[in-house]
Amino acid sequence: MTKRFFEEAGLIAGLSVVLGLAFHVPLIRQFLRGGLSPGLISTETGPGIILITLAEAEDLFAGRQGVFIDARSRKDFSTGHIPAAKNFPFEEAKGKAIGEVVAGIPRGKAVVIYCSGKDCPTGLALAVLLRDQGLDEVRVFMGGWDEWIAAGLPAERGNDQE
Amino acid sequence: MIRNKHVLCAFRLIIGGLFIYAGVIKIADPLGFARDIQNYRILPPAACLFIALALPWFEALSGAFLIVGIFKRTSAWLLSFLLAGFIVLVIITMARGLDVDCGCFGSLSRKADGRLILEDAVMLFMALEVALSSPGRRIPGIPGLR
Repeated sequence: MTKRFFEEAGLIAGLSVVLGLAFHVPLIRQFLRGGLSPGLISTETGPGIILITLAEAEDLFAGRQGVFIDARSRKDFSTGHIPAAKNFPFEEAKGKAIGEVVAGIPRGKAVVIYCSGKDCPTGLALAVLLRDQGLDEVRVFMGGWDEWIAAGLPAERGNDQE
Repeated sequence: MIRNKHVLCAFRLIIGGLFIYAGVIKIADPLGFARDIQNYRILPPAACLFIALALPWFEALSGAFLIVGIFKRTSAWLLSFLLAGFIVLVIITMARGLDVDCGCFGSLSRKADGRLILEDAVMLFMALEVALSSPGRRIPGIPGLR
């Protein structure tokens, strides 16, 4: 009866693949066009970088276990950001030594980087820079500011994050 | 081995229900699940996406079949293999020192840690009890598999 098991298992697996592909045709097309690069990073940039969800970002915020770094511009940051977040625009990071930022992060705290939302690549790019500066595990909150504010979570305004 | 049919029925409902829930919640957010898989740093992006598209359906269908009673034994075995695979994956992840989200229930997931192994082991026990409960010929080497 082993044959029966493999037939049934094959049927379930085959049905799953067909339904999975058929149900997400637009997503597959987007991936084949290379349109998913901000979200699905390559394995070359992956090690040392953890992508996290809104729930995880919220947990780190509520437990005061994370240092949030906002990779958006100073203008965007001033209009609203996650409370106590540090602003470190990616444009500035490219031209500066970012060792100062790394040095200013308290030991034992998780580093969470975000930018405007799922389609912005700067959060991930900044995470790669910080990882290359020696931070062991850098978290990227992919939903970013858009998802945070849409969920009605705390926010603050202003430029001075200190 | 548990033979009480009410207990086994409860096991089917619990395991089937959990996998239907886990599958449906991930079908709704395939990209989020793909990122969770990628965080384990084992597979390339294309493979992560393929698994993220197919595995949730596999979980939901197996769970539904287990509850309804179609391919009951096969579904119970498939979910057992899946749970055993999850346990091995979490152990490897912990051994590598990675601090990642398990990806089990979409945004409701939590860390891949020792407690998760325990929970998966309990579910594995229930799934195996269902798989082994039905009478039938056994496959040499795998007790209970027909």
